[in-house]
Amino acid sequence: MELVFLLICGGLAVISSLLVIFARSTLHSALWMVFSFFMVAIIYVLLHAQFLAMLQVIVYAGAIMMFIIFAIMMLNLRHEKDAKVNTRVSKVVGVAALIVLFLEMMLVSLGNSLSAVQGPITDTLVATHGRVAVISNFLFADYLLPFEVVSILLTAGVIGAVVLAKRVK
Amino acid sequence: MFDYIWLVPLFPAIGVLINGLLGRRIEAVNKSLIHWIACGMIALSFIVTCIIFFQLQGLPAAERIIQVTCFPWINSGVLQTNIAYLIDPLSMMMAMFVIGIGFLIHVYSIGYMDGDPGRYYRFFVYLNLFMFSMINLILANNYLLMFLGWEGVGLCSYLLIGFWFDDEANAIAGKKAFITNRVGDFAFLIGMFLLFTGLGEHGVWSLQFNEVFSNVHYLSTNQATAICLLFFIGCTAKSAQIPLYVWLPDAMAGPTPVSALIHAATMVTSGVYMIARSNVLFSMSPFALGVVATVGALTALFAASIGLVQNDIKKVLAYSTVSQLGYMFLGLGVGAYTAGMFHVLTHAFFKALMFLGAGAVIHSMHHAYHKIHSHDDAQDMRNMGGLKDKTPVTFWTFLVGTIAIAGIPGFSGFFSKDEILWKAYSSPQGHWLLWLIGVIAAGMTAFYMFRLLFMTFFNECRAGDAAEYIHDSPKTMLVPLCVLAFLAAVGGYLGVPHALGGSNMFHHFLEPVIGLGDGKLLQDATTAVTHGAQQAVHAAGHAVHAAAGHAVEAAGHHGAHHPPLWVEYLLMAVSVAIAGFGIFIAYIMYIKKREIPVALAEKYAFVHRLLLNKWYIDELYDIVIISPLRGFSYFLWKGVDVGVIDGIVNGVARFVGWGSATLRYMQSGYVQSYAISVVFGTVILLAYYFAKAL
Amino acid sequence: MIENQSIYLAISVVLFIIGAAGAVCRRNAIVVFMCIEIMLGGVCIAFVTFSRAHQSLDGIFMVLFVMAVAAAEAAVGLAIFVLMYRKHGSIDLDKFNLLKW
Repeated sequence: MELVFLLICGGLAVISSLLVIFARSTLHSALWMVFSFFMVAIIYVLLHAQFLAMLQVIVYAGAIMMFIIFAIMMLNLRHEKDAKVNTRVSKVVGVAALIVLFLEMMLVSLGNSLSAVQGPITDTLVATHGRVAVISNFLFADYLLPFEVVSILLTAGVIGAVVLAKRVK
Repeated sequence: MFDYIWLVPLFPAIGVLINGLLGRRIEAVNKSLIHWIACGMIALSFIVTCIIFFQLQGLPAAERIIQVTCFPWINSGVLQTNIAYLIDPLSMMMAMFVIGIGFLIHVYSIGYMDGDPGRYYRFFVYLNLFMFSMINLILANNYLLMFLGWEGVGLCSYLLIGFWFDDEANAIAGKKAFITNRVGDFAFLIGMFLLFTGLGEHGVWSLQFNEVFSNVHYLSTNQATAICLLFFIGCTAKSAQIPLYVWLPDAMAGPTPVSALIHAATMVTSGVYMIARSNVLFSMSPFALGVVATVGALTALFAASIGLVQNDIKKVLAYSTVSQLGYMFLGLGVGAYTAGMFHVLTHAFFKALMFLGAGAVIHSMHHAYHKIHSHDDAQDMRNMGGLKDKTPVTFWTFLVGTIAIAGIPGFSGFFSKDEILWKAYSSPQGHWLLWLIGVIAAGMTAFYMFRLLFMTFFNECRAGDAAEYIHDSPKTMLVPLCVLAFLAAVGGYLGVPHALGGSNMFHHFLEPVIGLGDGKLLQDATTAVTHGAQQAVHAAGHAVHAAAGHAVEAAGHHGAHHPPLWVEYLLMAVSVAIAGFGIFIAYIMYIKKREIPVALAEKYAFVHRLLLNKWYIDELYDIVIISPLRGFSYFLWKGVDVGVIDGIVNGVARFVGWGSATLRYMQSGYVQSYAISVVFGTVILLAYYFAKAL
Repeated sequence: MIENQSIYLAISVVLFIIGAAGAVCRRNAIVVFMCIEIMLGGVCIAFVTFSRAHQSLDGIFMVLFVMAVAAAEAAVGLAIFVLMYRKHGSIDLDKFNLLKW
């Protein structure tokens, strides 16, 4: 049952990602992207990471994609075919390299079994304490510093965006 | 007072620093301050030396070797070298006369260099630096410090030969001296390396004299021969022996006080000193000693033959110096180290005297020519003559020097030269042929020295209009002449041989150092080392015994092998007779019948030209060594340097330039091509890990 | 080892490669940006898979930080695109090679 669900969601994620690439219109790409993110969120759920699935939907599908669609609207992009393509050869080479990379990565992910030490977050622990409580306990204890650093990064990003996009008179 | 030996080299060094750093200003303010500082430093140095010398005299003979370590100099692994000085009769004797004569020549230079504005202070700086180096050379208690002095005197020699570098010939003469000396220094250095490693193999990592000499028995005879020969090559350059003597006659381009101090009295004898110092080492190698003796005898004869026909007053003296140095090496080579050193001492007196006398003559001539604005050569004897009455002090002192060098009994040269000749005949390493060469050279010496005397001081004056302006030099120049004349006259009485009823004080004085006559390998200040040395002698077996035995007979006046006394008297008479004969011929040729030399020169034109052009040795060297070297250098320059090395360098640069020009196209500026590069990098990294996992 | 682990990882790899291909090939800067987000999504799946397999929260936090960085990146990146468009009237990446030799 879970496998079927996984295959369907995975397949849809892959297909929608391909459509992101092949869609002619940028807006269509963005919409397929949203769909793809939803599929990824479902995969997170299948991996018992419901909290992440929520964030994926809220942050990615909600906020970031909002940004992108907003930018697309603002820039009024047309189909551009006039540009002479002077990087085609290197792109073909790049795709060829990507195929090799793909094979190598598949070899890595399918050829090896994970046999590392088991951590403390067992299903029983999660069941007794609740998922969000466990995550927050760790996030605000062990990962406090990275958490704060990320907040600084976000602030810097916001300031940077404002400075860059400000129209210089 | 022994502990204050470091003051001796320190004073000249202070003089160098003061005059070298502030000389220009001092000279602008007060010129006489320059020579007061320079001479004063040498005088202080001399006083300290005297005190130490007489204190040393007060000690019993066996305790007359004192090591004074000042501070560590080079500490590098097994090489532990100190700035350390050795006080023993040999070094103190050498230091006494070097500093003494040095002081006199400093005083003399005050008058001689007076008319050389702007460089006055520089001259005294160089002289002081020379004294500093020479003192280090003499007092050093290890080969490395000796080498420091050795190089230092070479440098000063170069600087002073080329002192008047405005004239290119002088600069070239300086270079010639320097480069020739480099050859010898190189050999010395290699010899030192050999010695160091040779003894190091047996755990004696040292270049200190006492340690080296008490352990020489570790060296095989071949090693000792190689080391000795290399050292001797060093000496042939520094002390102007065949084949590296060629620089010395040219070195006369320098100011005359320099010729007297460096190129006659002191520096050139440092080779003799070095061999005398290393006598234990040389005693191990009869072959090396034979080479030394043969080269010395040949040089004595060869240089004397050139001296016969030279017309430049300083050139004659230069060849005479080479010839006399040959005598010294002859003495050393037959194992008569004391005789050699004795000749160093007496030669320093009379040769310094004669050079200073020649300098006084040149000075007078130069001034006279200057008065009448003539540019004639002030050094050419053909322009002189009749100076006897015009410069009486110079003449009388010069006469003393000439008699001394000619070997007239009663004067210093007779005793030392005769001792060498006697040892050349009588010592086990000696040979009647060596004696014969020596005697012939002695006759030639007497001839050319009196020829010089007669041409310069007798007959009519050939200076033309300048004649009336010629007069004696200033007092600062004449006083040193008188002092040296006195020493040249009586210096020989330090070493009156037993055959003439003397006690040979000089020999006894040097015995602790050249003390093989006592049958000991090396006496040291500490009895412990002496014991060690004696034990070493016993332990080392017959090789050392044989060498020591040779030296015993060579240096000893009571050796087993001893020709009868009448032979000594006979040989003495022969050499005196030959010297007298030489003087007589000179008298005939240059006073009585002055047409003879011209006639002879015409009759034997070839020989005359050969001698006048110094056997064409310079030209021979030019063809055999310098031209091929120049060609080879040209090849190295054009072929190797420009072609290969520059080619490689430029090629690398060109390759990098080409590569950069090509590779810059990778920097396309398109962000996606950079992304592709990242992909490639990842592919390769993963491939690498796969390959590793396989 | 969890159930279907290789399938999760395969999906992750496929998403990553698709994203990379798009990032390499597409000329529209915004699409390239979205393709990078797809790549990040693929990587995040792998992280979560490992996190689950190891019974650890580290992978989950990694994904959290990736999201935060992606948000900041989106803000700055889109501001840059707006700027580019303003200057050149286009966000075609093939037209921008200002940083070349």
